Amino acid sequence: MNEDILKIGEQELSSRLFLGTGKFSSTQAMIEAVKASGTELVTVALRRFNRDQAEDDLYGPLSELKNVRLMPNTSGAMNAKEAINAALLGRELSKSPFVKLEIHPNPHHLLPDAIETYEAAIELVKQDFLVLPYIPADPVLAKRLEDIGCAAVMPLGAAIGTGKGLSTAEMIKIIVRDANIPVVVDAGLRSPSEAACAMEMGCNAVLVNSAIAAAENPSAMGAAFKTGVDAGRMAYTAGLMPTSEVAVASSPLTSFLSSNG
Amino acid sequence: MNLVVNGKTHTHVGNGSIEALLDEIGAKKNHTALMVNGAVISSNDWETATLKENDQIEMLVFVGGG
Repeated sequence: MNEDILKIGEQELSSRLFLGTGKFSSTQAMIEAVKASGTELVTVALRRFNRDQAEDDLYGPLSELKNVRLMPNTSGAMNAKEAINAALLGRELSKSPFVKLEIHPNPHHLLPDAIETYEAAIELVKQDFLVLPYIPADPVLAKRLEDIGCAAVMPLGAAIGTGKGLSTAEMIKIIVRDANIPVVVDAGLRSPSEAACAMEMGCNAVLVNSAIAAAENPSAMGAAFKTGVDAGRMAYTAGLMPTSEVAVASSPLTSFLSSNG
Repeated sequence: MNLVVNGKTHTHVGNGSIEALLDEIGAKKNHTALMVNGAVISSNDWETATLKENDQIEMLVFVGGG
């Protein structure tokens, strides 16, 4: 029985791995990876209905998954107003309070627009969403979003889809140290060891998409990330040893061979 | 009645209800979220909503995303 529950608002999750559903080669590959990862929270995007691409509609496949809640994102929104509309539309379908608030108008780097994100978050909190904003790893912004009632903050490890890992580690450590709400590293992770590292730093969860979807075997990578997240979380709760500037022997250095003592 | 659905002109021949339009377009009711002229229309209100000439409609579904 897993007693290590992650609470986001009033929602309780026993998995600390959140999964994105984009970029998979097929819906079946995505479903298998979701199951192998043990995730209980997956993100989805909204797009215009197109009768010729009906197979892209994930509502059916996702609603068949047990113990998985949906977190619609606001991807595609260029500003706060569009993101608020996207969140409202997503909630119509998800019947879930979660929203991944993401506003990244520049397609070249997909970095979040902090100002529009902050403005949208204020409104979405008022409308009773559990707002999880995707943000630059900025401790000041993270605190401001906490102050207005966001349910968690999701600083980026590196730019979306780059697989460059925890390039913002030092800033994330500050965010974790100061936060009274969950911190979720979102974007940039490539390997389960990076997920473990984020969890060892005290992050409360990680959100992974490309690293699993673009793996040669997404299902196996989903399982590997589960193990990485679990290991990192266990290490964090176990309490890592302190570091030292000088060597500290693990074996006794006296009473041996040449010593008379 | 002429409407704009997902950015394209659409001639609606039904009764002007949202459900009739969804059927006409081929979208599944419980898979689709809807905006009319920039306002989100909850599915709870679809029965009472009536479309009118030149309404701009966005029909959205869930797809994969991170």
